[in-house]
Amino acid sequence: MTLYLALMLLFPLLGGTVSALAGRKLPRRLVEAGVCAAVWASFVCAVLAAASYRGPVSVEFGRWLSAFDLQAPIHLYLDPLSLSLSVMICFVCGLIHVYSVYYMADQADYARFFALLNLFVFAMLTLILAENLPLLYLGWEGVGLCSYLLVGFWYTDSNNATAGRKAFITTRIGDTALLVGIAWLFQLFGTFSIPQINGMGFLLPHGIVTAIGILFLVGAMGKSAQVPLMVWLPDAMAGPTPVSAMIHAATMVTAGVYLLSRMFPFIGGSAVTCAAIAITGGITAFYGATCALAQRDLKKVLAFSTISQIGYMMLGVGAGAITAATFHLLVHAFFKALLFLGAGCVITAMHHEQDIYKMGGLKDRLPLTFWPFLAGAACLAGIPLTGGFFSKDSILAAVFLKEGTLYTSLYLLALLTALLTSYYSFRLIYLVFFGSQVHVHTHGELKVMQWVLVPLALLGLFGGVLDLPGYLGGGFLDSFFGHQAGGEVGHSAAQEVALQGVAATLAIFGLLAAHWRYGGKSRVDRVRESSTRPSPLYAFLLNGWYFDRLYHAILIRPYEYLSGILWEKVDEGVIDDSLDGMSSGLGITGRWLGRWSTGKVSLYILSFAAGGAVVLGYLAWLTL
Amino acid sequence: MIIPFYHVLILASLLFGMGLACVVAWRTNVIMMLIGIEIMLNSVMLTFVEGSARWGIADGQLFALMLIALTSAEVSLALAMVVYLHRRKQSVNTDDYGSMNG
Amino acid sequence: MPTDFPILTLLVFLPLAGVLALFAVRKSDELVRMGALVVTLAELALSVWACGAAGAGAGAAGAPAGFFLYQDAQWIERFGIRYTLGMDGISLVMVLLTSFITVIAVGVSWRGIKERVPLYYALLLAMESGIQGVFLGLDLFLFYLFWEAMLIPMFFLIGIWGHGRRVYSAVKFFLYTFFGSLLMLVAIISLYLRHGAQTGTYTFSLFELIHTTVPYGTAIWLFAAFLFAFAIKFPLFPLHTWLPDAHTDAPTAGSVILASLLLKTGAYGLIRFGFPLFPEAARACAPLIYTVSVIGIVWGAWIAFAQRDMKRLVAYSSVSHMGFVALGIAAWSPVALSGAVIQMVNHGVTTGALFALVGMLDERTHSREIATYGGIWGKVPALSFFFLLFCMASAGVPGLNNFVGEFIVLMGTFKVAPGAAAGAFVGVVLTLIYTVRLVQEVLFGKEKKPLELADLSVREGGVLAVLGVAAIYLGVHPAPVLDIIKVPIALLTGVK
Repeated sequence: MTLYLALMLLFPLLGGTVSALAGRKLPRRLVEAGVCAAVWASFVCAVLAAASYRGPVSVEFGRWLSAFDLQAPIHLYLDPLSLSLSVMICFVCGLIHVYSVYYMADQADYARFFALLNLFVFAMLTLILAENLPLLYLGWEGVGLCSYLLVGFWYTDSNNATAGRKAFITTRIGDTALLVGIAWLFQLFGTFSIPQINGMGFLLPHGIVTAIGILFLVGAMGKSAQVPLMVWLPDAMAGPTPVSAMIHAATMVTAGVYLLSRMFPFIGGSAVTCAAIAITGGITAFYGATCALAQRDLKKVLAFSTISQIGYMMLGVGAGAITAATFHLLVHAFFKALLFLGAGCVITAMHHEQDIYKMGGLKDRLPLTFWPFLAGAACLAGIPLTGGFFSKDSILAAVFLKEGTLYTSLYLLALLTALLTSYYSFRLIYLVFFGSQVHVHTHGELKVMQWVLVPLALLGLFGGVLDLPGYLGGGFLDSFFGHQAGGEVGHSAAQEVALQGVAATLAIFGLLAAHWRYGGKSRVDRVRESSTRPSPLYAFLLNGWYFDRLYHAILIRPYEYLSGILWEKVDEGVIDDSLDGMSSGLGITGRWLGRWSTGKVSLYILSFAAGGAVVLGYLAWLTL
Repeated sequence: MIIPFYHVLILASLLFGMGLACVVAWRTNVIMMLIGIEIMLNSVMLTFVEGSARWGIADGQLFALMLIALTSAEVSLALAMVVYLHRRKQSVNTDDYGSMNG
Repeated sequence: MPTDFPILTLLVFLPLAGVLALFAVRKSDELVRMGALVVTLAELALSVWACGAAGAGAGAAGAPAGFFLYQDAQWIERFGIRYTLGMDGISLVMVLLTSFITVIAVGVSWRGIKERVPLYYALLLAMESGIQGVFLGLDLFLFYLFWEAMLIPMFFLIGIWGHGRRVYSAVKFFLYTFFGSLLMLVAIISLYLRHGAQTGTYTFSLFELIHTTVPYGTAIWLFAAFLFAFAIKFPLFPLHTWLPDAHTDAPTAGSVILASLLLKTGAYGLIRFGFPLFPEAARACAPLIYTVSVIGIVWGAWIAFAQRDMKRLVAYSSVSHMGFVALGIAAWSPVALSGAVIQMVNHGVTTGALFALVGMLDERTHSREIATYGGIWGKVPALSFFFLLFCMASAGVPGLNNFVGEFIVLMGTFKVAPGAAAGAFVGVVLTLIYTVRLVQEVLFGKEKKPLELADLSVREGGVLAVLGVAAIYLGVHPAPVLDIIKVPIALLTGVK
């Protein structure tokens, strides 16, 4: 097991380092084969680890930070949560690596790209497998760094670089909250070990658990693009599409959910924190879905849907349903990666056009893209019997079964969101794949890229078997996670069927609404409308509720403005000039006193006599 | 007749004060300043000699002899400089020698 | 190694002896450069050799606890001044850093300095002697002597080979630091007299003076004088304004040494002399140090964001980073102090590397304005790679060196003073903001002007690669360094 864990991390690290240092010198095919092989080798290790898994394992490889009682070794921890996630990550990233080889075929700077992809996998696995919080933080920042550099991969366009920067800084705000949480835990417990902290949560007063839980939540908000720190994710779509699929859909953005699940035994001790998580998740899910309704850019629709779906996962965590949240995380990784990769195929075929209103008719031109994409959309919409249906439903059920007005209203909000989700998913399908045909450009690379979609589509569609509801024979994840899933309430099969019925009805209803509005003839009207000036509500949704403008006005502009003021007016103006003024004051005084030394002996003698008189006078005064 | 110790000291102080007054009063004239300095030196010499007589130790007289040698050297040097300066500035007024001002 | 081998004396005076060797070959610039390189490499080898003594573990004969190398001789008996050099873990780390950075400094000035080459390298070596002396001297008089001695070469380096308003900057640098050290001298002498009056033995030895009983009110003033001298060197807000000017106008190697080494002497002085001599006063002043260091962290980072000159930006970032060191020292807990010491090393490596990089860009285009650059990644990939690496290290990305120091300082300080640490956390965000701005405007985007840029030469690549390896090594495996400083820190903080 030690060997598997070590190799799982070392392969991508090695692949990334070699490509970064020597990638430009090595033959292109070799680099491509090498990075793909590294990730698949990790996958093999993960599978082998899963096969030989008997119970939680913790392995220490060496020291990292060690100063007195501060000990943060390189220490990995494998339990059902980290195991299932690492298998998923290796698999999805492996597929996306293969896809990227073809997607990036005409890019000259492949070495940098693949080096970063591999390093990303390393950092993500470190995040997942870390036993202590500093090591988790290493992975946490590592994925952020890779994301920053990959979003800005086409760096000559400053928009891309700005998007990367925005992502990095916004997530760093959350990360800092996480860091404060880590410091606080260290102050309280003197340890960073996650299992130990989880086991000691009950020792603390309620208020402190709540405060630390909120700090972790803010950390998760940054990484997982939750309200109010979600503004970076839509912009991050500026990166190459495989990057969006891998980092901004399947893996990195779900790190926040992972963090909260990982720490749930600790933070779950506070009902306030749970409620805060659930509220964040519910609002974000709704926010993402409403924004996705109005987007015109194919990737931005998917980006907002990612925000929304992660909101669901957070809602699940907030309801204490860790298994359900993880279940949705896994299935979402498959179908969202699928949707992004499908979008990548569409964009390639459309000569890098991303406006969905300029697409159409791709159903017949790209059937091999269409069918997997449709499967992905069905999962996203929660059409019955797809993987997305089961996973989303298990979250909804968990929220429904929590008592109280708060959770009931969140349940209703989540249902409304489910309806919207279904609607915008099929809006996308209708606009992109139906209607009149446009010219597409197919080439050899596209063929291979499309084939990558198929395994993901199958996993998305049949992902439900990972955790079937009780009445269908019970779930694998449920029993696998059994010992650590916290506050999930048992529920009867009848209740479950009823809840699933409601969800299914809403999904179908959304599909029909989308068909009515965007299907058939009305599609032409919508395309025509799209070129007119948008209504205020539409513009509000299109611009993500104007959060960007708000932040620009209240945070970014004042910061930039004040930095200039502080520098030139205060630092150089007041502090430096006052010291300069002091020195020139001394100079002036010196020159003024210097006028005394006229060089005239007579004056000197007089001064001398006066000085002597003063001294004598003083001595006389002393003696008398 | 033995002159009391204090009388000599008073005389020396008077001489010293006169010398000092001379220097301060005629501070614009180099020659007069030199004379004032000489008077002060002589008052010091007188003190030495009296001290030597008072305690019967020869050191004071030795010092007096040394002072005589010293003052003669000093006066010759100073007068030479006065002559030199007079040649340059056509004046013995110290206020005309201002090139060392700060 | 034979126990009576005067390795410490050699460490201090080898570079000074090297000056004489340079004098012998002053006719050929090339020989002078080679000579300087050989001397600094020998010094580095000697420092590494000294590590062996640390490994041996045994304390030197007659040395205070924790000092594994120690040398003590009568010097000026009349005033109780002794020639005392000693090396414990903290000194060792600083000596290693000094030797290492000086080699780098010789490397970066290889082509940039064309005038009065022999004098330049002579000053560089003389400064190395002074800095080593500061890190090794245990007699307060000796320490003060080295402390002043290291200023003079830097003054001339800035004044002769600098750019822009170099004379103004050199004088400003000199006056600031000199003013501070005079106050320290007053405090040293006062302590000396007080100790002499109490015990009858007049001595400048640190380990004797520690036992002086100073009334609380006086101790505050004496500590304040020490603190003032060290705070200027640090530099702590609001005494930092000499730094941007000195950095901007200094030659590249001058900036490297100034940032990597001279600033460290302030922190070192506070650890070695300031706090141990006046523990109660230091404890009482801790809130003040917390405040100014947190303000410095935020202030430096915020103002760095507005800079247009890259060197000035890095200079303000130094103010911010050194705030973490001050924070760790003020907390004076074992963890926080370990973090402060390792942050000193890390800041030395990272900021030194950033100044070297800016110097290399400046040599190519004769501009340090950020606005000149843009999109250079495609043109000079190797240089850009290192630029990115060190910027990220400076931004505190885990896995690279600065994170280690900042993290340990923050964890240690949070335990002692949560409020101060909370303020410092803000700096973590602000640091990233100015760093990514620098990266973006220099490396990314479109080219603003067509620039004639050549990628790294072998020499430059070698210098940066060595620094890069150091940055990654310290980020991934800092445990050996933390082990070296563990014993002295335990002794200083009184923890078993």
